[in-house]
Amino acid sequence: MSSSNDSIANSLDVLPALRASGINKSFGPIAVLHDIDFEVYPGEIHALLGENGAGKSTLVKILAGFEQPTSGSLAFNGAPTVWDSMRDAEENGIVLIHQELNLAGLLSVEENIFLGREIKKGLFVDHTTMRKKSRTLLDQLECRASVTARVDDLSVADQQMIEIAKATSRNANVLFLDEPTAVLTPHETKSLFKLLRRLKSEGVAIVFISHKLDEIEQIADRITVLRDGKHIDTVPAHSVTKDDMARLMVGRDLTEYFPHIPVPDKNADIVLSVQGVATDTGIVDAGFDLRRAEVLGFAGLQGAGRTALMEALIGLDPITTGTIQQNGTTVKFKTPGDAKTARIAYLTKDRKGKGLLLGNDLVHNFSLFALEKFTRFFINRKAEKAAFDAAAKQFDLRAASPKMLAGSLSGGNQQKLLLAKVLEINPDIIILDEPTRGIDVGAKSQIYGFIADLVSQGRSVIVLSSELSEIIGLSSRVAVMHEGRITGVLEGDQITEEEIMRFATGLGASTDAGKNNTTTATTVEEIS
Amino acid sequence: MKFLIKPVAAAFALGAMALATIPTLAADITIGVSIPSATHGWAGGMNWHAAEAKRRLEAANPGLKIIISASGSATEQANALEDMVSVQNIDALVILPFESDPLTDPVRRVKESGAFITVVDRGLSDPTIRNIYVAGDNPGFGRSAGQYIAKTLSDGGKVVAMRGIPTVIDDQRMDGFLAGIKGSKIELLDSKHANWNRDKAFEVMQDFLTRFPKIDAVWAADDDMALGALEAIREAGRETEMFLVGGGGAKDVVAGVRDGNSSIAVTVLYPPAMIATAIDLTAARFISNGPVEGIFNLASPLITKENAAAFYFAKSPY
Amino acid sequence: MIINWKAAGPLIALGALLVLGTLINGNFLSTGNMTNILTRSSFIGIIAIGATFVISSGSIDLSVGSMAAFIAGVMIMFMNTLKDLTDLMWLVVLAGVLAGAVLGMFAGWLNGILTTRGKIEAFIVTLGTMGIYRSLVTYLADGGTLSLNSQVRSMYRPVYYGDILGIPFPVIIFAAMAVLGYVVLNHTAYGRHVQSVGANEHVARYSAISTDRVKIIAFMIQGACVAMATIIYVPRLGSASSSTGVLWELEAIAAVIIGGTLLKGGYGRIGGTVAGALILTLIGNILNLTDAISNYLNGAVQGVIIIAAVFLQRGIGKKQK
Repeated sequence: MSSSNDSIANSLDVLPALRASGINKSFGPIAVLHDIDFEVYPGEIHALLGENGAGKSTLVKILAGFEQPTSGSLAFNGAPTVWDSMRDAEENGIVLIHQELNLAGLLSVEENIFLGREIKKGLFVDHTTMRKKSRTLLDQLECRASVTARVDDLSVADQQMIEIAKATSRNANVLFLDEPTAVLTPHETKSLFKLLRRLKSEGVAIVFISHKLDEIEQIADRITVLRDGKHIDTVPAHSVTKDDMARLMVGRDLTEYFPHIPVPDKNADIVLSVQGVATDTGIVDAGFDLRRAEVLGFAGLQGAGRTALMEALIGLDPITTGTIQQNGTTVKFKTPGDAKTARIAYLTKDRKGKGLLLGNDLVHNFSLFALEKFTRFFINRKAEKAAFDAAAKQFDLRAASPKMLAGSLSGGNQQKLLLAKVLEINPDIIILDEPTRGIDVGAKSQIYGFIADLVSQGRSVIVLSSELSEIIGLSSRVAVMHEGRITGVLEGDQITEEEIMRFATGLGASTDAGKNNTTTATTVEEIS
Repeated sequence: MKFLIKPVAAAFALGAMALATIPTLAADITIGVSIPSATHGWAGGMNWHAAEAKRRLEAANPGLKIIISASGSATEQANALEDMVSVQNIDALVILPFESDPLTDPVRRVKESGAFITVVDRGLSDPTIRNIYVAGDNPGFGRSAGQYIAKTLSDGGKVVAMRGIPTVIDDQRMDGFLAGIKGSKIELLDSKHANWNRDKAFEVMQDFLTRFPKIDAVWAADDDMALGALEAIREAGRETEMFLVGGGGAKDVVAGVRDGNSSIAVTVLYPPAMIATAIDLTAARFISNGPVEGIFNLASPLITKENAAAFYFAKSPY
Repeated sequence: MIINWKAAGPLIALGALLVLGTLINGNFLSTGNMTNILTRSSFIGIIAIGATFVISSGSIDLSVGSMAAFIAGVMIMFMNTLKDLTDLMWLVVLAGVLAGAVLGMFAGWLNGILTTRGKIEAFIVTLGTMGIYRSLVTYLADGGTLSLNSQVRSMYRPVYYGDILGIPFPVIIFAAMAVLGYVVLNHTAYGRHVQSVGANEHVARYSAISTDRVKIIAFMIQGACVAMATIIYVPRLGSASSSTGVLWELEAIAAVIIGGTLLKGGYGRIGGTVAGALILTLIGNILNLTDAISNYLNGAVQGVIIIAAVFLQRGIGKKQK
């Protein structure tokens, strides 16, 4: 697989561009990094691998001067170093591309690329030169966005490319990329890799974070795996398989934590039938059936329209054309309240922004969706509290006190609280959007268990997830979306990562099975 | 209920009567009138009288145009002056300046454009700019009230005073009042600012009543405040204990003084109609053959039961 | 012992002011003065109860002072007109009161509909209506003062000056509105919804709450409270002018914030608002009862006390954590 192992051999003779020894980091009482050693050499692409919450982003932030370690030391080109600030690090050619985009949306592409380092001609900003340079940078990435366009008007993928162009314009010595490919198409990912290989040949040290094991296999020279804030192993990329990587990350076999969910009868009632739905949010002609007591998975790349479709179905966004039938009757949900009355619950993927009131207590959050249930004229606080206690027990919600704020719960407990909240209306149809995003393995498998329970009670569940393993592990059928359409619904043996990716990238069912495993099917796989 | 169309029939009638004896102007004349906007009762009365004068003079003198501009602050007033010169091309300016110092230079510029300048109430810092000065007597305003109280309570008595918004005029009035009671046996218990505002005066008076078990007289440097204070005194049931002296000449107060049925014994005239005097004088500069330039000091007489009828304007809002 | 500083802060400030007042003037604690303070607080207090809802929902209403002046002006003109049509003065007053209430709720509804359906920030909408109502009342009064006919006034007078068992009528209404406001904000689904919309509108929408409706109703509650304050204000002086209710909006907002409600929304405390309104009135009262402080510094004293009250409520609260 790997082609350039010789360069490591060479680089091992020189000093590491950046070396971290014995790094510890705590936020308050919580330790997130334990005694980490890490180094990256000039001309090396070093992949950093680990589950969500393993500490990758924190480590990278420390290396790039965004955070200070609690203890431990850094060395830059062999000399002990303390970054006083990110600016200090940046002046030494340390550049970090964050997981979240950091662009000024109202400024143009060119202005963003040179933000804070504008080229000047006398007193004035030299737009002509900046535009020319921006064009060259974007061309290297094969990004066709106009340099004068406003960043807000661009696609997320183009925005990511601009972020990368901005970073590379800074003549980096060490370049950190935190999940740069999450929002890129396979083609764009290829362009990015081309650029990274060129930078590597120029002697830049590159640290690359990704969940996509195929990408790591393609691009990395060495791999460091973190788990629960600890350094697990550092290995040459060619010495491990993808399965090895996954096992190192998770620490156990992947398959064991999905519960058994029975596949419903082919003739089971159709509880929800959606036909020809289109919206202003990018859905064109989407249709599917949901059967009683099944888990229907929804897969697709970022921006394929899964969330947009579900939000339109429950009345958050208007549907322009199409029909929805619930248990054979045509229904129209103008507001989320209508969908709630029809006993359809939607769990948003944006837990902190749209799911929970982080500054309010747990009981307030828990009862908000089902408040009528506890209200005659006044809210019956006793009943509310009793229901909360019952739910906390049922969902194993670990909280110091029901009075504590939702924002101070851990991610996993927040997710359980959100689940308890939407299930309190006792829904027939439950739509779960990224139900396990950003939570630890233990909480994850609990949530899978809850999903299995729901199905065994005869309810129907739709699961939207970017993690193919999760979709495959839970669903009896999988609907795949691409550019606002449902391009296929897979059942039984059809449900494989390759097949899902084929539909997700708009290729359709496998007809060109001959040349698999190079670009399309492999680039977008996600494990953790 | 009144809605958004004002009756103008009366003005038309006036105009028709005036048609018979029209003096002629040599050329079309434009007079600009710049005054503070109607943010409290007295200023409201002044705005009303300015509009009355405009209606009357324009009907009587074809070719005469009067432009009234009310401003909410000194800055706005300076802007209004610029517009009057550049857009309206005025021949004369009648101004009641918000504040003396800040408006001196803007008025000087109007003067430099060739306009005739009439200043009302508050003088400018540079007296050479004006052609006519119609002056209200602010120290006299306070002094009349003070002297009245000193005379009425010749055996001595306890007095509280209610001042307006902290400004130069307010200080002049207060100093005048102190001069008026000087040498008498009057004891001034305290003075507070009630901002020429009825509500504020009500509260300040309530607290005076709480604080002082015995008050013989109240001086309110404005009739709006006098009315607010009166209400507080009535509520406390202490009308017979004290009397009030107002100021300005608000019609409700004047009516009360006239009818003798209120605790406001007298008020001191500070007529908002002085703006009309100034506009008349300015117009006379172009119409009359008599000289008008100079200083006109309007007296601040006491309005008492005897003379009150002469100071009552039924239609004025103040 | 854990002290809830959010709740205790305003009460401590209130207590300190009471002690200060007592030290300054022996008459401070007299029944008469206490009655004055409570009665006086009732206007700002009642308006601030409404403002607690609007602010908790994450909006702001700057128009309340002008709205009060406008409602007062319309009520006076309406009653003066009705008086010529009937001899039943109680009917005239009743009709005037109802007209005030309807106008207040309509004005609130208008602010609400412009912010939600019109998608204009509440700050701008109410800044606009603030100017509109202020100009309208000035226009209606010809720049002067609108006075209520004396016959009507003598019938209406007890609404401000009357009392039940020695408790002035406005104080009773203030207390009743406070209790009602407390119950609605803390014990009904609507109150929960208001605070949720203020805390995070997205979360509220995703929790199937009709956020526009919640906000419009909050503005209508504000309008109704302004109308109620105006209904007891009109008989006090029997007049309305362009200077009626000037800066009441800022006093109401100050009372709400001193009371512990968050300006950015999401958390409201009616009890705190009541304390806040009392604090503001007390400051004015105490300054009137002494000549120790130059009149010119009144505003500075008020400013210092307001900031100190909010600091008590937040600054110390934070240190406790």
